[in-house]
Amino acid sequence: MSVPHPPVTPFGGFGLGLRRTHYEDFLNSARVPVDFVEVISENYMLEGGRQLRILDQVRERYPVILHGVSMSIGSANGLDDDYLEKLKSLAQRVEPLWVSDHLCWTRTSAHNSHDLLPMPLTAEALDSVCENIDHAQNTLGRAMLFENPSSYLTFPEDEMAEWEFISEMARRTGCYLLLDVNNIYVSSQNHGFSAEDYLSGLPLDRVRQIHLAGHDPATPDRPVIIDTHDREVSEGVWELYRQAMEKLKQPVATMIERDDHIPPLPELLTELDHAREAAGEMVAA
Amino acid sequence: MTLAEKQAAFMRSILDEDAALPDGWGHSQTLGMNVYRGNYRSAAMGALESSFDRTAAYMGEDAFRQAAINHVIANPSSHWTIDATGSGFDETCASLFPDNPEVAELAWLEWAMLDIGGAADVTPLSPEDFGDASAGFGDQDWMRLAITFQPRSACRSVANDLSDMWQALSQDDAAVEAKRFEAPQGCIVWREGERPTFQIVQSDHARGFSAIQAGARYGELIALLAGEEPTPEAIQRAAQSAGAMLGQWLGDGLITAIEA
Repeated sequence: MSVPHPPVTPFGGFGLGLRRTHYEDFLNSARVPVDFVEVISENYMLEGGRQLRILDQVRERYPVILHGVSMSIGSANGLDDDYLEKLKSLAQRVEPLWVSDHLCWTRTSAHNSHDLLPMPLTAEALDSVCENIDHAQNTLGRAMLFENPSSYLTFPEDEMAEWEFISEMARRTGCYLLLDVNNIYVSSQNHGFSAEDYLSGLPLDRVRQIHLAGHDPATPDRPVIIDTHDREVSEGVWELYRQAMEKLKQPVATMIERDDHIPPLPELLTELDHAREAAGEMVAA
Repeated sequence: MTLAEKQAAFMRSILDEDAALPDGWGHSQTLGMNVYRGNYRSAAMGALESSFDRTAAYMGEDAFRQAAINHVIANPSSHWTIDATGSGFDETCASLFPDNPEVAELAWLEWAMLDIGGAADVTPLSPEDFGDASAGFGDQDWMRLAITFQPRSACRSVANDLSDMWQALSQDDAAVEAKRFEAPQGCIVWREGERPTFQIVQSDHARGFSAIQAGARYGELIALLAGEEPTPEAIQRAAQSAGAMLGQWLGDGLITAIEA
């Protein structure tokens, strides 16, 4: 059952994902020019040790967003309460801007794929996702953000478009949205739908954050675009980002995701400046 | 087919490339499934490479890759964190390389060092604190003394000098050769502040540590060290050995609490 939670206040700015290779930059430099950092929740769902201490120190200097990859909100077997309790404990420690995860499933009751697997877009799946979101939000005591996934297949039994699924999910549960523009681009190319229709079909007033990332283009041997987060954002994604920013009425937090082939921090900051320019909010250095 | 059944079938297809794809799936779904299968394997392999970089360097790329594939196939992940993929990898190495026990020992050490890094932060009992707490102990108090070690501290018997191997591999010297002990020793892993560390100890010391960790009281430790049908001299020696171990554990910051 949906219980009203305090609204997630819009936060405008530009940030990066905190990765281990950049710990020293964030801890030792006078100030990295970002408005927030996002961390992968699971990397810090620990009982103690250096990782948590570093997160505490970063948190003293920057607003932090907790972004999860393992909640498995689409699991037909429900959520892992041990996982939820650990996430709740981390959220209480960090006091993040918000807590997010993905519209996907990652596990069955027996196994975990550690991948963001696609949901069948059916009424049954929607009911299951909404029930799980209610449970997660009630356990955490806060409204969450959920990210639109990239996907590499659709199901023959799909009954609705992904943006319709997400819209209804947000309406029923009161959750907010993390708009991954690269994911829209990747899925639109893989499944042949209009990225513009996708954007227009979403309840954009629920968007609080945007992800930008690079992808691996299709090849003759592999006619599927893969969401790799291992390179610069493509021009097609930048164009879609500009369109999204034109449509959004409220401030949003934009960040660059890089999870592989992570370059030195200055390179990512340059790319983040590109996001500022694209959003029309270039900040003088 | 219910959502649960669909997800179970999807997961089977990821884990087993020979599993039949669900009814109604066509070419596009097959292409997509190939991506998910590749993602699963590369993520699991990546987690193992990240957790066992010294073991991988020692084994060499091909042998490590083969061991990792075996491990991932035999132990499909069931935990929410991908970091748990490395749990039991030492056992996989032990079964694959029975003539090279140093491989499994190195993998065990690397995993234990990683695992304790995220353990709860605790304040060790200092020798002074221990002295104050035990100042009024009578013989019975000593016999009943329960000792709590740092959470997730670990111990196992080892046949090889892991200290040398660890040091060499930490300096990117993958050409290090295993040096076999004349008799098995023990290896204890714990944390100094935030820093995981380990020490090679004599086998009696390792047995004593493991017994205490399993809940034995100090009196039982002495009995264990004295052996079966002990003489008064053996008990005396065992008491001295237990006292030395206790002193070392306190000095190393391994003990976090005592209870008499």
